[in-house]
Amino acid sequence: MSARKIMVLGEIGVGKSSLVRRLVHKTFEAVYNPTIGVDVYQYDVPPSETGAPVSLIVWDTDGNLGDAIFRHVYMKEAAAALIVGDATRRSTLDSMVTYASGFAEAMPGRFFGFAVNKIDLMRPGERPELPTALSRDANPLVETSALTGENVTHVFHEAARAILRRGQ
Amino acid sequence: MSSTKRRGPSSGVANRGRGVTRGERHAAIEILAAREVFGLVWLDADLVVGASYGGLVSFVTIGAPVGASVLPLLGLEANIKAVRDTTDAVFELPAVAIMSPLAPASRLNLSVIWMAGDQRYLLFVERVSHRTGLEQELAQQMRARLMAEADATELAGRLTRANRDLEAFASIVSHDLRAPMRALEYMIDELEGDLPADSTGHLGARLADIRAQAQRMSLMLRGLLEYSSAGHKDHIVAAVDTRALVEGVVASLPIASGLTVEVDGDWPVLETLAAPLDLVLRNLVGNAFKHHPGPRGHIRISAESEGDFVRIGVQDDGPGIAPEHHEVVFLPFRRLTGSEDSPGSGMGLALVQRTLEAVGGRLTLLSDPARQPGCTFVVDWPRVLPAH
Repeated sequence: MSARKIMVLGEIGVGKSSLVRRLVHKTFEAVYNPTIGVDVYQYDVPPSETGAPVSLIVWDTDGNLGDAIFRHVYMKEAAAALIVGDATRRSTLDSMVTYASGFAEAMPGRFFGFAVNKIDLMRPGERPELPTALSRDANPLVETSALTGENVTHVFHEAARAILRRGQ
Repeated sequence: MSSTKRRGPSSGVANRGRGVTRGERHAAIEILAAREVFGLVWLDADLVVGASYGGLVSFVTIGAPVGASVLPLLGLEANIKAVRDTTDAVFELPAVAIMSPLAPASRLNLSVIWMAGDQRYLLFVERVSHRTGLEQELAQQMRARLMAEADATELAGRLTRANRDLEAFASIVSHDLRAPMRALEYMIDELEGDLPADSTGHLGARLADIRAQAQRMSLMLRGLLEYSSAGHKDHIVAAVDTRALVEGVVASLPIASGLTVEVDGDWPVLETLAAPLDLVLRNLVGNAFKHHPGPRGHIRISAESEGDFVRIGVQDDGPGIAPEHHEVVFLPFRRLTGSEDSPGSGMGLALVQRTLEAVGGRLTLLSDPARQPGCTFVVDWPRVLPAH
């Protein structure tokens, strides 16, 4: 099975690690433990009607790195990125736009998608307040919840298929 | 940040005193490896693991490509091999944790060097120093604080934007409505001109009422415009003789014949904004003149030094303002019962308060008619203006 590296990017505390742990270990920890440096996971995406199986090497990054991540050795050979924001904190959604442009510049032609996380914290009928640039972006945007698992597998499987479609 | 660096001078504990024997050095390495402080992995020219040393790297699979068991190196083979082409180069991957059931969850620094003599690579795996519970807690508190600060900054930004939008709205509305109000007043002039010279009675009285309301509306619009721009105008800082200023204000305002005015106290010369100070004094003194019921009364305007401020008091002996109305009088367009017919836009005190906020000053109202008639407006005007 071929392997591809995917970066998980986003501000501090948006739930990047929780998303990845939900994906790989099917668990959720309520206690917040900040990532220092990078945590590297492996997750095998099974074959589907539209794609071959692929092993995702998931790089869960330290949100404190900010845009320095794009100049860091961590970014080398990344095939894709999942950019994460917190549905309840507008500033983190604004930062998603910055992360997207940073990744597009650092890794031109590579796929990236958006995950608006912690959707479980929204009140019934409430919607995340997305910045205009994000709501107009052509790249896929999915609302996720690491707590309930909503769309977590889906968003990574979609990324894996996009990577293979692009031949990266 | 570059992934490959030149190797620096040899690091580690300096060899002090007598020389360290090969056996002692080997023993020290064994102790450190046994304690899982570091581990060594030898890779052949194709990055296949040939051997490993130390408990920290026991998860590495001998005979398999290094990326198969050291996940962070998967896909970086070309970058690693590049160290072979550059003398003394090292490929470094700092602070990575391999989250695999097969590997330790420790945070590791990975470094790869090319050993030309052996024609193989050496992967040096070093455990990042342990964090104590206290350090971990401190790190979490720092992150939580950073997040809270980011949220507070965002909220403050939103509030600033909302205020700016509201001020812009008020400014545009008040400015644009003044033109049709002027046109309305001109039309009233024309209508009055069309009336027969001996016309009295109902029609003339109604036109006079309409004129009064139109003039009041114009006054309110002007007040709103001034209010929305308070603190945003570029006034000039200059030496201001505050006694001369207040005496000029008193002299310029119409005053009922039964009122007496006293200016006393210590009025300094300040390097300050003359126009906003004039506005503050003009409104407060004007209010004291306008709202005094007469027929006789006394207005005292005083100044004294109060730390970093000049404290100015405008005191009258009128009926005073009950404490339950103290907040209301500072709201735009609010006028107290009994003062509806007196001239003014109802913006004076709101404008004074907003101007003082803009320069870092304060406005306080002291009045309790149940205990003593009269009221005093106390202005604390800063001796030194804020930097902005």
